[in-house]
Amino acid sequence: MGVSKKVSLTVFSLIMAAGALMWLIQLWRGLILTDMNNAYSWGLYVSALAFFVGNAAGGLVLSSMIYLFGVTALKPFARIGALCAFANVAAAMLIVLSDLGRPFRVLNLLLHPQIMSPLVWDVIVLNLYAGLSLIYLYLLMLPDLAARTGFLNKIALPVPDPAGFSDRWAKRLAPFSLVAAVSIHVVTAWIFATQGARGWWHTAVMAPDFVAAALASGTAVVMLVAVLCYGTADKFQNAFRIMAIFIATSFFIHLFLMYNDFVIHAWYGSDHAKEALAITLQEYGLAHAFEVLAPLAGVVLLLNARVRQTMSGIMAGCLLIIAGIFVHRILLMPAAFNQMPLTLAPLGSQHTLWSVPIASGRYVPPADTFVSHHSYFPTLVEIMIFAGVLSFVCALILVAVHKLPVVKEG
Amino acid sequence: MRRGMVIDLEKCIGCRSCAVACKQHNAQPAGSWWNRVVTPGSDRHLTASAPENLYFLPIHCQHCQNAPCVKVCPVGATYQTDDGTVLIDFERCIGCRYCMAACPYGVRQFNWESSKDGIKRYEYQNGYTYGYPEPFRLDNRLVYSPVRIKGIVEKCHFCAHYQARGLDPACVRACPGKARHVGDLDDPDSRVSQMIRQMNGFTLLPEKGTRPNVYYLPPKRKEV
Repeated sequence: MGVSKKVSLTVFSLIMAAGALMWLIQLWRGLILTDMNNAYSWGLYVSALAFFVGNAAGGLVLSSMIYLFGVTALKPFARIGALCAFANVAAAMLIVLSDLGRPFRVLNLLLHPQIMSPLVWDVIVLNLYAGLSLIYLYLLMLPDLAARTGFLNKIALPVPDPAGFSDRWAKRLAPFSLVAAVSIHVVTAWIFATQGARGWWHTAVMAPDFVAAALASGTAVVMLVAVLCYGTADKFQNAFRIMAIFIATSFFIHLFLMYNDFVIHAWYGSDHAKEALAITLQEYGLAHAFEVLAPLAGVVLLLNARVRQTMSGIMAGCLLIIAGIFVHRILLMPAAFNQMPLTLAPLGSQHTLWSVPIASGRYVPPADTFVSHHSYFPTLVEIMIFAGVLSFVCALILVAVHKLPVVKEG
Repeated sequence: MRRGMVIDLEKCIGCRSCAVACKQHNAQPAGSWWNRVVTPGSDRHLTASAPENLYFLPIHCQHCQNAPCVKVCPVGATYQTDDGTVLIDFERCIGCRYCMAACPYGVRQFNWESSKDGIKRYEYQNGYTYGYPEPFRLDNRLVYSPVRIKGIVEKCHFCAHYQARGLDPACVRACPGKARHVGDLDDPDSRVSQMIRQMNGFTLLPEKGTRPNVYYLPPKRKEV
């Protein structure tokens, strides 16, 4: 392991340790250490769940493109894809643990699962997907595992033709992995989209939009790791070109789905829709500009063949796309929680829309007891726990690339 | 038997006794209010945007028949009893707060910190305690406890502990205006069913399809 990798791994480990410490403190004191309250009850953690789930898309989509649609140019990146998928879906499950008030009761999900809850569906598909991406990674590495010595050789399946076996089974699993990859986004979207109480979420466009945004950011994650592992040699240029086109297409579909929804609601102009749009486009106008313009800039960069020949160009493009989709996930919450579901026109004044305030649940002497608006901003505890999980993803990928035959030499 | 409540807004004087009784009887932690009384149109508390608008609206769990909170709960901690009451099993809730996102009425309260820390924040005088002193179990599920568990969601339980002793909920008994009534909504001849029929009973957010078991009777005139 080179010096720069060692330094990165040390930094990631320190951030992970800090995040773990913050989580312990949060366990001890409670979620009072976050900036959430009864009216604004989900924040960075749940946004991060959607973010990591989206980032996990790339891996198995890549594999299925290779083995279902015959895009063989991507084949060198298949292992990286499966690895990124596993790391991100594991992160998604980790971050949601920190959102639970009683994380040690998570076993209740196994003891008393309530099958009507989209959250139960999500736990099922996320675990399936994590398992499937691990199996995929193992299968794809199999030919090289057999050639290694020591522990890696021992865990290799003793089959006569490892390369043929790997290819055959990767092809057989490909349709399932594609379905699993799509379903984690659809089901995660349903957690929100099924909620009739929140107009901002309650739209049929959310599931397809989740898939589109995930295909953009998930592929960008794989491309980023791939360029870091393999560099920009000529033989990979075709693969980078295909990934850039795929990212661009997915991102434009995402933009289309999002603005399609905005136009329909803005045109009819119900008070609720206008309020939700005003929160996103005015109060969070800068964030909205970023979620659109940053990935757009990333797409413009990646679509340029000359940029794709530079490491920094590809990295910048991918990071802009990932950051933009992250902000998109953050913006899931403000318009959902700052538009009170219970609004009424007071009897006798039918043309006003009045939001019924909610008890904040946190006793703070100078603050209002009942609130109908909260300018949420994550606390240091929330940011550190998120940073810890993000570092976990980076560290896991770094260690796996170093220890396992993820990157093919030569 | 479908247990329901009727709140007569004509009779409600906006005194908040129900909110206070609820908070005290159910030992609610700092910052938690299972029951709140709002003045529609007001910026704060009792003031109204225009004097002719002044009336009061008490809001707590609507004990919906099509309850989104029950459907989203991943572990069945929030559940419906045979009489339609929506309860929370304090020992099963994992604190994911999905139900709070799902509830259109904003009645669910999370325990962001331990009861002890909350009480300390309140700076009550030494030894001041309030609330029904015993834990209460229904079908062996803990639906009330005077000491709260940190990190779980709670809300109005239709005073299940008092119901077991044949008493009406604390808010009903404490209402000086006699604005609140409980009864069987399945029985067309019950007092509550008759009141709803005869006095234009309505529910909150009917467009959400939640079918609440809490009804309101409109005020004939308002405070001016």
